[in-house]
Amino acid sequence: MADNTEVKVKKKKKTRYSWQDVVFNICNYTFFAVFTLMCVFPFYYIFINTISDRDLVKAGAITLLPQGISFQNYIDMLKVDTIFQAFGVSTARTVIGTALMVAATGLIGYLVTKKEMWHRKFWYRFIVITMYFNAGLIPWYMNMSMLGLTGTFAAYIIPGIVAPYNIILVKTYIESIPAELEESAFMDGAGFFTVFRKIIWPLSKPILATIAIFGAVGHWNSFTDSLMLMQNTPELYTLQHILYNYLNMSTNIAGIMGSGGGSSDMVEGLLNAKVIKYTVSMVTVIPILMVYPFMQRYFEKGIMLGAVKG
Amino acid sequence: METGLLKDKKKTNIPYMCIRGITIISIALMFFPALSPTNFITQAGQAKIKGVASLFTSGVSYSSLTSGLERAFDKGWLNETYFMIMFVSCFVFILGTVALTVAMCMSLGNLKLKNMANKPLLGGAAGMLLGMAGVTVSYILITNSMDTDKVTTVFPTGLPMYIGITAVIFVLAVYIRIRTPKAQPNEKPEMESKYKLFLMLLPFLLLVFAFSYLPLFSWRYAFFDYEAGGELTAENFVGLKWFKLLISNPAYTTRLIRVLRNTLVMSFLGIATSWVPMIFAIFLSEIRSVRFKRFVQLATTIPNFISWVLVYAIAFAMFNTDGFVNTFINSLGGNADTNYLLSSDFMWIKMLLWGIWKSLGWSAIIYISGIAGIDQQLYEAATVDGAGRFQKMRYVTLPGLLPTYVVMLVMSIAGILSNGMDQYLVFTNANNKNVIEVLDLYVYNLGIGSGDIPLSTVVGMTKSIISVALLFVANKVSKAIRGENVV
Repeated sequence: MADNTEVKVKKKKKTRYSWQDVVFNICNYTFFAVFTLMCVFPFYYIFINTISDRDLVKAGAITLLPQGISFQNYIDMLKVDTIFQAFGVSTARTVIGTALMVAATGLIGYLVTKKEMWHRKFWYRFIVITMYFNAGLIPWYMNMSMLGLTGTFAAYIIPGIVAPYNIILVKTYIESIPAELEESAFMDGAGFFTVFRKIIWPLSKPILATIAIFGAVGHWNSFTDSLMLMQNTPELYTLQHILYNYLNMSTNIAGIMGSGGGSSDMVEGLLNAKVIKYTVSMVTVIPILMVYPFMQRYFEKGIMLGAVKG
Repeated sequence: METGLLKDKKKTNIPYMCIRGITIISIALMFFPALSPTNFITQAGQAKIKGVASLFTSGVSYSSLTSGLERAFDKGWLNETYFMIMFVSCFVFILGTVALTVAMCMSLGNLKLKNMANKPLLGGAAGMLLGMAGVTVSYILITNSMDTDKVTTVFPTGLPMYIGITAVIFVLAVYIRIRTPKAQPNEKPEMESKYKLFLMLLPFLLLVFAFSYLPLFSWRYAFFDYEAGGELTAENFVGLKWFKLLISNPAYTTRLIRVLRNTLVMSFLGIATSWVPMIFAIFLSEIRSVRFKRFVQLATTIPNFISWVLVYAIAFAMFNTDGFVNTFINSLGGNADTNYLLSSDFMWIKMLLWGIWKSLGWSAIIYISGIAGIDQQLYEAATVDGAGRFQKMRYVTLPGLLPTYVVMLVMSIAGILSNGMDQYLVFTNANNKNVIEVLDLYVYNLGIGSGDIPLSTVVGMTKSIISVALLFVANKVSKAIRGENVV
């Protein structure tokens, strides 16, 4: 019996590279290579156009390799007030918004695990159920203006502090922490907040890092809130919003940018709308690409998040 | 003995219950402009003044309280000093409310803490009373000193209501102060953990309420003839007019049907291709080179993390008149200058492909980890039975992933009306407007673009209700298939 099996396995090993297999492998590798290229090439293409000689870019001579490398576009871009400001707004909302969201989510996630809380189940459902219904875009907008948040930086931060899905993730994680650790601290007379700060918070760092990464990406990418709420406050536009505006402008960007300050030399240099659009795109995508390698190990936890709008 | 104690505890609780309830109500009322006692001037000279400042806003922002009255002050029709008194009074009222709220939280504790709460309780109630008195005085002063030829006023119905509420709160506070027994001098202020935990959670519950539940209150715009900056009054209540308009007026009906067609087509295309990530994962797992596999995974998940605006920037760089496709053809000696983004041909397919490009690598991850979770013995058994590579893919991997797939599929039923708006908003232009406008974008265009708040609320509201119903259906289906809830 045993011999028989061995023979069969050996047989399989010999016929492993049948012609079907070879054809399949070639097709398979080709498919993935092409799709990977499709995902990476656009970024590369935009990048080489931003670091190449402006005249060549304008003439459409840059296709596969950069020519006349210079980083002047990026240096000039920093001198444009609107872009610099928008970069600041986006960075500030990402940092502050994420920090507050993570801190709040950690605390809420801990509190809702405490069975002795007054009507705990009800309040937990009160939070979680909001994932499944949505009043709609316009009621949300009217609500924001009723609360006086239209045109304020707080409009980016406050609504995102309580994130129901993240709370579920954190709660589940905290429930897996052995209760004895907490109990001993309570014995020593520590309060709930002390226990949270000294025991729960350090122990839940992996899950908090996960929600922080995905929260930060969400903040950096979000664009409709800026579009709708900041109609009269251009100084609070996010970088995504600025990019959207530039992409929608036909050609005459230089005039608009000129009024935003900066030397005439730069305006002349950036006259080519294509270069501006490409450079702003790169400025918007580079932070994402920079944190990307760190994000990778959180992918599997993050897939459950699913909520990252992009 | 014990029952007597319990009874006593209950008795002291009733006034607390009352004052807590009234405090919550009065805090909520503070945010309604229509009920604010500070909105009584309807016209000053040519300027029509609309009641926009709630009591809360009046107390924190002087410019909101007096918006539109600047000219009246300059001309001497109104005396500005009295408005300052009103502003200060509102501020005092808010401070009183804050103190009262603190006292309410403390009153959940033991007797000692309740005793301690009496100070902010009485102080807060007194502050509120003082504030309301100030508002009343300034109201009387303003109406007596104003130029009645130039300024028209209405009686603020909110004023007697607030005076009533404040008086009740004050009486209750005094009653509690008298009736609460003194705690033992050596007793420590303490609170049961159930209330302590609740109070820690409370600020977040308020946030959830303000940003997830309160928007539901804005559904009321669907029943009014509202214009931006206007007011909701009994006169412009129109009932179901907008709902009827949407289904009876041909211009609206045509657009709505077109929008629904686009929405459903996009959703069904999405569902029809929802198996692609699963196949992607299965084929990727057939690749033997670990390095290649890792690189593919790394590269194909990038698009998921960029915004739709950036996706459009990429589309622009690739397919614009002087984008990559054209320059590449030209560099090979062609002469191409088509702007692919302007054409509306195959728009649905293009949108689908952009969607797949963005999400494929990411959506595949769940299946890749699913494959890793399949029992290796199944593969060994299949090998023993003489199954080849394709047979193993077909009879082991695929059935292993199917349950996950079914859940994802069922959940997509609930989202059938929600395609999201970002993707369609960035790709929209004059040429493709008719084929790209999905429900979410329609609501945006109608509400923000054309400023038609009531009609866009009607559409959004109907969509929300249908979506919740679909979610229940999806949940039922999932329960029938797999015996467990998804929600």
